[in-house]
Amino acid sequence: MNQAEQVIRQKFQQYYLDPKRQLDPPLNPSEREYGFLLFNGKFMVRHRSFKDPLSLLTAVRDLVPSHVYFSTAYYREPTAPMEEKGWTGADLVFDIDADHLNTPCKPDHDNWKCKACGTTGNGGAPKLCPKCKNDRLEEQTWLCDRCLQEAKEETAKLLEMLYTDLGIDNEATRLFFSGHRGYHVHVYSKQTSQLGEEERREIADYLLAQGLDPQLHELEETSVGGTKLAEGPLIGQPGWRGRIVAGIYDILGSEMDQIGLTSTQVHALKSWDRENLLRKPFWNSAKGIGISTWKTLVTKAVEKKSAKIDTVVTTDIHRLIRMPGTLNGHTGLLAMKVPEERLDEFDPFTEPLAFHGQMKVKVKVSPGFRLGEERFGPYHDETVQLPSAAAMLLLCKHRAEPIA
Amino acid sequence: MLTRADLAKYPFLNEASDYIKELGISIDDIASPDFSPVLERAEKRLEEALSKGRVSNEFGNENAEILSFPVSNLILSLTGEERAQRRFALAEAKRAYELLRQESPEKLDYIARTTFGWKLNKIDAQPGKRFYDFGISLADYLRNSVHLKEPKWKLPNRILDHGLVYATREELARLLEEEVRTKIVDRSSRLPGEIPKPLQPKVERTRGLITKWLGVPSHYELPRVPSPEAMPPCVKHLIDDLAEGKNVQHMGRFTLASFLVNIGAGEEDIVKAFKPASDFSERMTRYQVEHIAGKRGGRTKYTCPMCTTLKTHGVCYKPDDICSTIRNPLSYYKSKARILTGKGPKREPS
Repeated sequence: MNQAEQVIRQKFQQYYLDPKRQLDPPLNPSEREYGFLLFNGKFMVRHRSFKDPLSLLTAVRDLVPSHVYFSTAYYREPTAPMEEKGWTGADLVFDIDADHLNTPCKPDHDNWKCKACGTTGNGGAPKLCPKCKNDRLEEQTWLCDRCLQEAKEETAKLLEMLYTDLGIDNEATRLFFSGHRGYHVHVYSKQTSQLGEEERREIADYLLAQGLDPQLHELEETSVGGTKLAEGPLIGQPGWRGRIVAGIYDILGSEMDQIGLTSTQVHALKSWDRENLLRKPFWNSAKGIGISTWKTLVTKAVEKKSAKIDTVVTTDIHRLIRMPGTLNGHTGLLAMKVPEERLDEFDPFTEPLAFHGQMKVKVKVSPGFRLGEERFGPYHDETVQLPSAAAMLLLCKHRAEPIA
Repeated sequence: MLTRADLAKYPFLNEASDYIKELGISIDDIASPDFSPVLERAEKRLEEALSKGRVSNEFGNENAEILSFPVSNLILSLTGEERAQRRFALAEAKRAYELLRQESPEKLDYIARTTFGWKLNKIDAQPGKRFYDFGISLADYLRNSVHLKEPKWKLPNRILDHGLVYATREELARLLEEEVRTKIVDRSSRLPGEIPKPLQPKVERTRGLITKWLGVPSHYELPRVPSPEAMPPCVKHLIDDLAEGKNVQHMGRFTLASFLVNIGAGEEDIVKAFKPASDFSERMTRYQVEHIAGKRGGRTKYTCPMCTTLKTHGVCYKPDDICSTIRNPLSYYKSKARILTGKGPKREPS
C-alpha cells in the first residue's frame, strides 16, 4: 500500500466506523454473493455471503475495502465455487457510464499515455498509440458536469423505455449513482429474474436499437401509378415506431447540418414545417425529400433515441455490481440511491459527498472541478489545503499525494 | 373449449394427457389387437419423422391419433437416441404449426395459456399496415424468439408496448411451434429405463430406422487436425488482426481462445496465435487458455459464444452463406469441414 492508499483507507475506515452508518443492502441479501476489492495489493475477496445487513456492515468495517460489490444473481449457496452455487435468478441490471459516451469535454479532462513509447494525448485513449501502434495505453479520466449530465440523459431515456416499452413497474426498479461517472438501474421482478443471457441480450439490443431494420417498422417506398411514395411509422405508435418519428422531430429542430445530408436536402427540410410530423401522414409532404433522406434521418433518430447502456453488464447473469451506500474507491464519493422522480435535480457533485473537514495535499496536475457550491483548480504542482471531499477525490484519482 | 378432434391434432396438450388417463390404459394393453391401429400410427409417426423430418396429419381415428403420440415418444425415448428425439420433436412441432396457424385467435390464446402458461392479451391493434391479434408478454416472447434467426424476430424490430410484444396470429403459431418442440424434447428425457415387453420389438425396429436415416452414431464431430480453411470469417479476422498487432477486445480474445480450445487445437498453438498481440504475456495467455479449456479454476470447459452475442459485441465479421445457416462459430467449422472433406455423417436436420 502506498502512502496515498494508506490515507484513503484510513478515511474510509473512519467513514464506515461511524456508529450511525447503515448500508443499503440489496433485496434478498442472504441469497447473494458479495465481493470486496481490498486496498492491499488490489486483492479481491469473493464468494462471501451474509445473513443480514449488520453482519455485512461488520465485514466492511473489518476489511475496509476500496470497493464493495454484490452479485446481481441469486444463489442457493452463494459461498460455493461458481459452478456449484445453484443459480436461481438474477436482477436485470443496466449500467450507463461516461466511459461509453462520446462527450466533447473529454479532451479537457481525460488524457492518456502510451506505456511503450511515452507518447501522451488529451481525450479518451485511442485504440492504438498513433506513434508506435502499441495498444498498452494508460488512461486518466475525470468526472465533470457535462459527462454526468449526458449520463443522466441516457439514464432518463433508459427509464422511459423500461416503463413504456418493457412495461416494467417503477416500483420494481431502483436507480443508483455509481459514485463515479454514471448510473445503474436495477430491476427486481419475478418476470425478468428468470431471463437467460440470450434473452437479456435481446433486451440490450432493443434499448440500443442494435439490428433495428427500419423496413421491418414499415419504412418503405411504394409505387402508385408510376409515382414513388414513401411510407413509414407515425407519431404515437408504440415502441420504436413512434420513437423514430419523435427522434426525427428533434433532429429537424436542431442539428441537421452535421448528419451527412446535402445542403439541398437540409434546405428542403428547413423550409418544411416539422410540426407536420405530429399530424399524419407526413412521409410525402416535404417537397424534394424522398425515401433516401428519410432513411438517413431514421438512422440518426434511432441513434439519438437509443439508451447507451453497457451491453456486457446487462447480459452477464453472474455479475458483481457496486453496492449502494458504499464508497467508490475511484473517487471517495458515495454510491447512492437516487429516487427516480429526482433524477433530473440530483447533483452528483453535492449529494454523494462523504467526507468533512480539511486536508492538505500536494496536487500533481488536475483539471478544474466543482464540489457542492465550490469550484476548485485547475492545479499544477502545488500544495493546497482543501475540503476533505475534494482532497479525497484528488487522492483517489491519483492526482495528488498526501502531506504527512 | 377443446374437442376430441383438437386433442387428435395436438396430442401434446395437457388435456390430451388427461384424456388418456381417463381412459385408464396401461402399457401392457398395447400388446392387445385392439391397439394395433395405435401402434401402427405410432410407428408411422416415427418413420415419417426420421425419414422426412415431417409427420403427416391423419384425422380418421381420433383415439389412435391421441394415443399414438405418447407411444411414439416412449419408443423413441427407449432407444436413448437424443438426435432422433430432437428430430421427432421438430417434426411434430412443425406438423402442429401447420394446424395451429389455421386456428382461431381464441383457440390459440387458450392453448398458449393452459398448456404453456403464457401471459398474453388479445389486442386487435393495427399500428400501420399489419393487423396484430396478440400482445405476448415479453418473457414468453423472448424464451421462444431467441431460437428464431430471421431479423423480424429480433426484439428491436418488434412493436413492444408496455411489456407486450405485438404478434399476428401466424406469428403466435410459429412461437408456439418452438414451445411444442421444447415440450416434446423435455418429455422424452424423463422416461423409464427398462423397456416394457410389448414394445421391445418396436424399439429394435426404430433403432434400425434411426441408423438407416440418421446414420451410425459416429464420434466424428470435428476434423481431428484443426483445419484453418474451415474457420468462420469472424475467427479468421481475429487471427489476422492479432497477427497485424491490432488491438483485439476482450470478447474477441475470448471468442478466439474458446473456439480454438473447442476445435481441439493444442495449447501451444493457441498461445502462439496470441503472440503477435502487442500486450502479449505468455504467462497470462497460458493461464487464461487453461482456464477456458477447463484445466483451471471452475474446471468448466467454455464453449464458443453464440453468433448473436458476437453481433452484439461487434465481433461478427462479414458473415457469408454458411453463416446464415448456423448459430455458433463452431457449427460453421463443422459444416465447412464437412464440405471441404466431402465426408462425415448425414447432416442433422436443422
